[in-house]
Amino acid sequence: MSDSAALAGTQPDQRPSFGERIRRFYSRSEAMRGYTLLSPTLLVMATMLCIPFGIMVLMSFWTQSGFDISTTFSLDNYVSVAEKPIFQALLIRSLIISGFCAVATVLISYPMAYYVAFHVHRRKLLWIILMTLPFWTSYLLRVFAWKVILGFNGVLNTGLMSVGLIEQPLEFLIYSPTAVVITLAHAWAAFAILPIYVSLEKIDRSLLEAAADLGDGPVRSFFRVTLPLSLPGVIAAMLLIFIPTVGDYVTPALVGGPDGLMMANLIQAMFGKMNNWPLGSALAVSMMIIVTLIALVYVWITRKLVGRIA
Amino acid sequence: MDIKKELKAIRNRELSRREFSGLLSAVGVSLVMSPLASRKALAAPEDQATFFTWGGYDDNAFVKPYIDKYGEPPNFATFGGSEEALTKMRAGYVVDVSHPCNQAVPRWVATDLFRTLDTSKLSNWPDVMPELYNLEGNMADGAPYMAPVDWGRTSITYRTDLFDLEGPESWDMLWDKRYEGRIGILASAGDSWWCAAIREGIDFSNIATDESFKKVAAALREQRALVRTYTDDTTTLEQALASGELVAAMTWDSSAVLLKSEGVPVKFANPKEGALTWVCGAMMHKDAPHPDRAHDLVDALLSVEAGKWLIEVNGYGHSNAKSFDQFTTEELDALGLSSNPSEILNAGKFQVPQTQEFETAINSEFEQIKAGF
Repeated sequence: MSDSAALAGTQPDQRPSFGERIRRFYSRSEAMRGYTLLSPTLLVMATMLCIPFGIMVLMSFWTQSGFDISTTFSLDNYVSVAEKPIFQALLIRSLIISGFCAVATVLISYPMAYYVAFHVHRRKLLWIILMTLPFWTSYLLRVFAWKVILGFNGVLNTGLMSVGLIEQPLEFLIYSPTAVVITLAHAWAAFAILPIYVSLEKIDRSLLEAAADLGDGPVRSFFRVTLPLSLPGVIAAMLLIFIPTVGDYVTPALVGGPDGLMMANLIQAMFGKMNNWPLGSALAVSMMIIVTLIALVYVWITRKLVGRIA
Repeated sequence: MDIKKELKAIRNRELSRREFSGLLSAVGVSLVMSPLASRKALAAPEDQATFFTWGGYDDNAFVKPYIDKYGEPPNFATFGGSEEALTKMRAGYVVDVSHPCNQAVPRWVATDLFRTLDTSKLSNWPDVMPELYNLEGNMADGAPYMAPVDWGRTSITYRTDLFDLEGPESWDMLWDKRYEGRIGILASAGDSWWCAAIREGIDFSNIATDESFKKVAAALREQRALVRTYTDDTTTLEQALASGELVAAMTWDSSAVLLKSEGVPVKFANPKEGALTWVCGAMMHKDAPHPDRAHDLVDALLSVEAGKWLIEVNGYGHSNAKSFDQFTTEELDALGLSSNPSEILNAGKFQVPQTQEFETAINSEFEQIKAGF
């Protein structure tokens, strides 16, 4: 309505004013209005994410000597990332730990999601909330709780000793890669339960009835109907856990011990006591590229696989 | 605005949608603005000086005269290692007073982030032991960059009941193959590198040579196979020693004092090669927002009250000679201290300031060793 009023107000031989033209362009362009609605988010993304990321990429081409950073373009950092064995070893260790962690999380989350999706009929929301309840406490607190459970004189060791199963406390429980996998698997479980639950919930129940009618037992119908149809959730969950845990730093620092240190701990040291921000940036960028590549390959393979099943 | 009345109006549909939106945005705006409005109420802690110090020193007993004067403690911020602290300040974190140790002072000064202290504003300065501030690179035209506060040793705390000592106490205890997986080490090269150098018999004036570097790195690599955990967090080491998970750990004086007070059978070793001695102190940021309060804070750290807390609770030495007068010789002996502090200072190995290149080199080498390379 305001548009036509504005049009009626202008004389045909008179060119509309600058402001008027902008206004008209704006009200006609749907994209512009869309961007305006998005603008707070876009602004935050640009200032808080893109600019710092750009600075980091830029810095990874600089070099540090002593307190000074030389800003001439150089690939030295990337060369040392590619050449020094410590970086590769830590990267591979991070990938292996996160891989184990993603598999372990999905394995423990699947039964929980399955139970709620198929065997809970009333108050499903309450069940879901109860399952995510541990995640209402701080991440750090949960890591410390695991420290108490896995510790040398911890809950698990004292329990096993009082039962008489072991004579000496098990030392691999804490300060080891195992401890990192256990802690991360618990910390990220909610991120696996929810996508798996959603994909299980979406399964058409009549397919299961049909499978039963055609003579499949519960086990066969699970492997032939339920599992393949829930794969999208499983795949999403694996990826959702793998990507953030590769870069986790707190958990390995607290329960990892000398053999459980991951790439992120080294990156943190670069920005802290090792005082080499450019190399730290190069490490972060390289890791990001590698994780992206792995994620892409993973998505491509699973898509082929799911396509074949379907 | 009477909320009940407004709610009633909404229920009775007396409030138009436009009016309701207006009301909501008023609530939103006042929520957003409320932190600004209450600035005055929150202003109190901001007015105090900020003390950027080691974790564990953020204790009101350490700054009592300051609290007596201003009614509130300074703002504490903590770090786990002084390299980490310097990196943060170089990245733009402005504090009033920070807490480096002597070997770091020349490098900290070189960053141009710090200023000398005005000793005329420090009432306790005349009592400070001169051998603690006449250190390499510390004095500029008679004014100190770092006012020495605490000093102590890095040595071995070991369980007297679990560690079977053969011969005299020595740094070799941390390289004892019998205790594989039961040894704890401090994660910062600032301690571990120097202690390994003492064990290798390297004179600190030669610590930066290539030969010494290789020797120390080899020793630390040999040790890594025995280490259960590397940590900056002394509490972790203390708990592990108390539970028997560790039988020996590299610690500062305070861990042994704390564990003894809890009845754990431990001893702070006096290694035959000498313990690593350090002195740490207060350095003032050149852009300190509260210069006067910063001086009062430094003065509080130099006070006899601060000394009493350092000596009694932590077993550290203090820079104020008068602090030792509050204790009997027996009390000091029990803490491993002496009424004549220079005795201890001379018996130990004092860290020598090094270049930034050296610090970076040992830090990266030690990171690699910790990661298993």
